[in-house]
Amino acid sequence: MANTVIGSSIVIDGEITGEESLTILGTVKGKISVAQNLAVEVGATVEADVEAQTVTVSGKLTGNVVARERLELKPESKMVGDAKSPRIVIADGAGFKGNVDMDV
Amino acid sequence: MADKETVIGPETRISGEVRGDEDLIVRGRIDGRVQLTQTLTVEKGATVQADVDVRNLIIAGTVVGAIVASESVKLTSTARVVGDLASPRVMMEAGAAYRGRVDMGDIAAARAAVSARAVERPAASEKPVFRPAPPRMAPVAKAVVVGKAVAPVAPAAPAARPATPTTAAAGAPVSASPPAFPRVAGTMGAMSPAWAKKKIRRR
Repeated sequence: MANTVIGSSIVIDGEITGEESLTILGTVKGKISVAQNLAVEVGATVEADVEAQTVTVSGKLTGNVVARERLELKPESKMVGDAKSPRIVIADGAGFKGNVDMDV
Repeated sequence: MADKETVIGPETRISGEVRGDEDLIVRGRIDGRVQLTQTLTVEKGATVQADVDVRNLIIAGTVVGAIVASESVKLTSTARVVGDLASPRVMMEAGAAYRGRVDMGDIAAARAAVSARAVERPAASEKPVFRPAPPRMAPVAKAVVVGKAVAPVAPAAPAARPATPTTAAAGAPVSASPPAFPRVAGTMGAMSPAWAKKKIRRR
């Protein structure tokens, strides 16, 4: 269970840092840095540079992403920005524009 | 999972602006500004160092900043709050620590004042904004015991004696006259209750 949840009507403008998991259903602009998992759920909008252990995108994400372990773009997700992660999963139906760096 | 409430976990920190139309529970920390049309709950151990404009506010943790609540504010027994507070209904439980001004009347004016503060501050996403240190709880006014008793050997002038209550107490026998406790004039410490003399624990 995610420790921090940003609800669908919440708008955050600024920086989020944390040592736990973060689930976003609302809107976040700025910067996100979490030690564990980040989930951008359906309907969520994130315009931020992101750093996390694993990143799972089901909504919209604009910004550069560094996932230390895994980045997953679910079907229906939209992502614009550079992705850096050793494992990247892009599902059928996902939209993605940007560079991919798997550190090879 | 449909009705997920918004929770800021204990290990999470947000600096910037938080807006929304739903309840928000803070277990971690928010610096900046919070604007909600619903209820903000600051749980025990949580810190909100922000201007707060919400409908209902329940505080069990620490809040530093101007507070406007259009409906009610509740300070529970573990609350530590510094900042002016405007709300038509204000509840304080025994044990709550609060310093600031309470206004149960003119909420609109208080809200305008808070909004003006937000405007003069640059965008939170740029970089950490320097905020002047918020007013702390008044320090304990150190009562200097001036031994007025007639000392057995040399009756030194009490004014010349340095502020060392321990030696003064040890050197002088039990005072004949009640010991004077000069208070520093103009500080809150002279009149505030015991809890106000405790410093708010801030991380």
